[in-house]
Amino acid sequence: MENAYFKKFGPHTSYQLDDQERSDRGLEPDKLVKTHCCFCGQQCGMQLKVRENKIIGIEPWEEFPFNRGMLCPKGVKRYLQNSHPDRLLHAYAKDPSSPEGFRAMDYDEAVKKVAQEINKIQAQHGYDAFAVLTGASLTTEKTYLMGKFARLCLKTANIDYNGRLCMVSAGAACKKAFGIDRSANAWDDITKSDVIWIAGSNVAECSPITTEYIWAAREKGAKIIVVDPRITPIARTCDLYLPVKPGRDIVLFHGVLNIMIQNNWIDQKFINEHTVGFEDLKEHVSQWTLDKTAKETGIDEKSIMKAAELWGQASKSFMLHARGIEHHSHGVENCLGAINLVLASGRIGREGCGYGMITGQANGQGGREHGQKCDQLPGNRDIENPEHREYIAKVWGVDEKDIPRKGVDAYEIFRKVDRGEIKGLLSICFNPLVSLPDNNFIRKMLEKLDFFVAIDFFMSETAQYADIVLPGSLQEEDEGTVTQVEGRVIKINKVVDAPGDARADWKIIQDIAREVGRNHGLKFEGPREIFEELRVASKGGISDYYGITWEKIEKQMGVFWPCPTEDHPGTPRLFEPGSWNPIAKGAGPFYFADGKARFHAAKYSPPKEETDKEYPIILTTGRVVSQFLSGNQTRRIGPLNDQCPEPFVEIHPKLAQHFGIQNGDMVTVESRRGKADFKAMVVKTIRPDTVFIPYHWEGRKSANQLTNSAQDPISKIPEYKACAVKIYKSTREVVQ
Amino acid sequence: MQKEVKKSLLNSIIVTLLLGLSIWLGSRNLRHFDAALVGYTFATLFAAFAITYRYTMWLQRPPTELYWQRGWQLMFTPKYFPSNVKFLIGRIITIIGGNSFIWKRSKERGLAHWLIMWGCILAAAITFPLVFGWLYFIVPDGDLTSYKIVAFGFPTLAFKIETTLGHLIFHGLVVASFLVILGVMLAFRRRMRDKDAAVLQSFSEDIMPLFLLFSISITGLFLTVSYTWLKGYGYSFLSIFHAITVIFTLISLPFGKFFHIFMRPAQFGVAIYKKIGKEKMAKCDRCEIEYASEMHVNDLIKVQKKLGYAYELNDGTGHYQRICPRCRRLLLGLSQGKLWHMKPVKD
Amino acid sequence: MSVSPEMAFFVDANRCIGCQSCVQACAECDTHKGHSMIHLETIQREDSPQTVPVVCMHCDSPTCAEVCPADAIKRTSDGVVQSAKKPRCIACNNCVLSCPFGVPKMETKFELMMKCDMCYDRTSEGKKPMCATVCPSQALTFGPKDEIIKQRQSSTPVNEFKFGNQHIKTKVFMMVPKNTKEQYIDVTASMNDSSISQNMEDHLADVSLDFLGE
Repeated sequence: MENAYFKKFGPHTSYQLDDQERSDRGLEPDKLVKTHCCFCGQQCGMQLKVRENKIIGIEPWEEFPFNRGMLCPKGVKRYLQNSHPDRLLHAYAKDPSSPEGFRAMDYDEAVKKVAQEINKIQAQHGYDAFAVLTGASLTTEKTYLMGKFARLCLKTANIDYNGRLCMVSAGAACKKAFGIDRSANAWDDITKSDVIWIAGSNVAECSPITTEYIWAAREKGAKIIVVDPRITPIARTCDLYLPVKPGRDIVLFHGVLNIMIQNNWIDQKFINEHTVGFEDLKEHVSQWTLDKTAKETGIDEKSIMKAAELWGQASKSFMLHARGIEHHSHGVENCLGAINLVLASGRIGREGCGYGMITGQANGQGGREHGQKCDQLPGNRDIENPEHREYIAKVWGVDEKDIPRKGVDAYEIFRKVDRGEIKGLLSICFNPLVSLPDNNFIRKMLEKLDFFVAIDFFMSETAQYADIVLPGSLQEEDEGTVTQVEGRVIKINKVVDAPGDARADWKIIQDIAREVGRNHGLKFEGPREIFEELRVASKGGISDYYGITWEKIEKQMGVFWPCPTEDHPGTPRLFEPGSWNPIAKGAGPFYFADGKARFHAAKYSPPKEETDKEYPIILTTGRVVSQFLSGNQTRRIGPLNDQCPEPFVEIHPKLAQHFGIQNGDMVTVESRRGKADFKAMVVKTIRPDTVFIPYHWEGRKSANQLTNSAQDPISKIPEYKACAVKIYKSTREVVQ
Repeated sequence: MQKEVKKSLLNSIIVTLLLGLSIWLGSRNLRHFDAALVGYTFATLFAAFAITYRYTMWLQRPPTELYWQRGWQLMFTPKYFPSNVKFLIGRIITIIGGNSFIWKRSKERGLAHWLIMWGCILAAAITFPLVFGWLYFIVPDGDLTSYKIVAFGFPTLAFKIETTLGHLIFHGLVVASFLVILGVMLAFRRRMRDKDAAVLQSFSEDIMPLFLLFSISITGLFLTVSYTWLKGYGYSFLSIFHAITVIFTLISLPFGKFFHIFMRPAQFGVAIYKKIGKEKMAKCDRCEIEYASEMHVNDLIKVQKKLGYAYELNDGTGHYQRICPRCRRLLLGLSQGKLWHMKPVKD
Repeated sequence: MSVSPEMAFFVDANRCIGCQSCVQACAECDTHKGHSMIHLETIQREDSPQTVPVVCMHCDSPTCAEVCPADAIKRTSDGVVQSAKKPRCIACNNCVLSCPFGVPKMETKFELMMKCDMCYDRTSEGKKPMCATVCPSQALTFGPKDEIIKQRQSSTPVNEFKFGNQHIKTKVFMMVPKNTKEQYIDVTASMNDSSISQNMEDHLADVSLDFLGE
């Protein structure tokens, strides 16, 4: 069965030279379509070469202002996912009697079957027994539709998305501190800064285009501070490297702030006029003396002092952070610590001064604004807020009572499956079997479901467990908008038609709604119509898209939200002095009634799973540049997969020597949840108390067999960046 | 006069005289020489002179000279001779016979070159002996259905005219023309479609030769059409036109792209050099990994010196040629990085 | 068509993040589609993530061309050293072994040397080479010379290199810090270095293994 399955669904790797069209040199394309990359949150502009409804290559798009033609390897080779041998061309039903494990079925029948199962489960167990999992790589139009579909058609409270593993800590912290969830600046401000603090971000591998912004600043004399347990490529040549012990970022921020306060390197005027809560914070951080900070963070005192000097005395500064500080059971606190440093310096809302969180997924920003989160309605409205509910009910033409209440987060959905409260699941754009922590548990839950339908373009590891798989669309087969890392709304253009029975995701969702028999408000003719409704739905909300049109996006090469009216140009830089927002209404630049930002005396607690005698080493996980997230796409693109075909474990020579491990040996890494073998990469560029494994792989190669599913109590982000493991030399031979 | 030029002129004169002599003897004191073809003969003699001149000049460039000498020396080293012969036969079949390496670049390229090459070889094999009077046909005594081939004045094979063999022999040039025309069309197609070709090709180097081959073939075919079906209509004009195209091509042989026909066999010398070189590999002075044959490295050091390069290391202990290409790239990175306030870590 | 004299290629390996975008993009160029001509080397991964991208530096008098027995390597009048001419190249490897920067690649199955030609199909039409267009760190940059020198305030471009006693001048520039004394990069001076660093690993190595409880 295994072989027949592989033959049919892969993952096979595709190369340009396999294909006559692609290997024929210099073939003139019929057209070049301007669009954006399908992978990360940088959303680089690019042009795809099309010949006879096939994508034959890429051409950089140098006019697009964010990346000016620059692309990472994923962007360069993304075109090879098109016309891929593994592409799902039919609907499939699970069929144990078939050698492939699935049999192709008629699309309409498959949709009917899905609707039947939904109705059956909901009739027996209630609406909330059917859950929806979505993703932040979908266009904003699709994410809006998914929220509406779950609430109006399925009437379930339980919809959540994979941004839960990505941006939620940063988002929650931003809301708490600034009242708005968006990077505060366009990236251009990075280049005008004097000091750039990069906390927990492997910029070079996870957001490569940001590198040039940082180097451009350095070229003008800026100092670069990198905080990371590993010397990543961006750390290699930085001015100050702080090798923090995983999970201790908040301590570092507090310690540095304490030094700044002691040396009066803070902007007291800004603090007085534009913030609240500083006195509490001051009191709170005073416990973090230099030696205590050094001891807890594992960073030497001199370096911490140096960081405080650089940051404290800068005239312009920029704070950047990513999953490194966010993927923790106290991820929100970590982010608040970073924001405290920004606010105390008063350096925000001005040229060259600001704050950015580096979104991971394509639509990491837009995907978390318009209602596919369990607690949220479009426009970043609160699902429990009566006014917000009323407004959206009006836009949707339903009674406020018909909108379900708050549901549970993506991980909790699986715990509810475990408890028998959720019986059915629809998933789109999510591969939890690879991407969720402790994924042996996830596998059991997928098996336990009464009915599981997956919408995907390739047979992902998760889709393998589905009863019905519906063939969805690749990014290039549909159009819509996406909001990238800076908060710039951009337009994805349709490049080619979906092949075979595959179709645009929004069509599939609406087909299901029709068959379920509740498709009120789910009869859109296309993404443009959805966007028009979304504009109205977001109007007056914090994430206000009302003034954005597709035409304006094209003309301006992107529009920064908030953009409340059609004649508004958009807002590249938030919190400028004297700026207006719908919450403060002129009281101040921040999104609270008094217009002031909030300091938070964020509390430090170590990772949920501390190391101990049995499991003495910290495991941290992350990405490599050529693979993306769960690898469902990149593991199928030959040249990208070849760049890093297997996971590995980075071990410091000191630690390796202790365990008699040589570079290239197979090493077993074992946690309380599982164990797996990885090839050792012995490098001096990681803390000796920490090992690192990239997480893009499935099954026995998956790092997430080991990770801990402990979550942040506020954001519900899982603690991917720190758990306790032991390592030892594997008895297995090295597999080449 | 420079030494190289002198030597080249001398070789050219010798080769031209030898060719002239062989025409004289092969045609039995010009008895079988067709006076109408004298233009072709002179163009060939000129080509022989110029090709030899250029070839000799070429062989005297330090790197070429080295391979030339090493190639023959290794070829006839008794220890290697038997395996060399076997190796060479294999290479000749795949490289010349099959153009294997060109097919790998692309099927279209492979097919185009293979067709043109075999068309040209076939045409040359038929026409040169006829022009030089080395070959002619006679009707055997009393048998009007047969022909006999006379080579260098010696009667050889006789064959029936109305047989497949007969047709093939008489229409060999037609076959050759078709091969060449097909190949040229494929090559033109590529040159028109490929962006790669579009930027790098030049008219005289790349388009002209194809154009000449096409002209020769098409005028040759017209000649056949003229005498077979049109009762010789326009035959004399066509034959002059054909002659012009052929003579022009012969004269251009030493100058343009066609010269590769004569340079190319050097590939075999190189192949033997590489094959035997593998027996003793040189290790990189920096990473101690094998990267080239010891013979090659030593020879290159000599060649570079002759060319005026000074890649000797300053301290006199070594030569940059003894560093493998990968280490050279690393050294570039290390040297640049060091300037950016970074501290080198010594081995 | 030729490469405009105002445009220049700059390499700053100090910026390189080793992402291989250049390697992937190189194979998309029409003069060598499917074959990457650029080299991206990791210097000593155990010590550091340092990487160096190496493109053809396009020497004023290219050693590769002079050692070519088949006279197959030509430098066009705009200073670009082209890949070997296909009908001539006899795959002898002289160029591969002689290039002081280690640039040409031997494609054994084609019996052909191929090398970086600055994406001649693009640069001769006024576009940038693939690698320098996509490079996310702009370790590889191509553009108007004056403009780039103005942007790179901390850097100064050099195009002279020293290998032993041999000086080589190139069309491509390499960035060195503004106040560097030498007008050239002495490549062979690093012969005994295995890697370079900024003492960062020392901080890491200081972390004790006490947590192992021994």
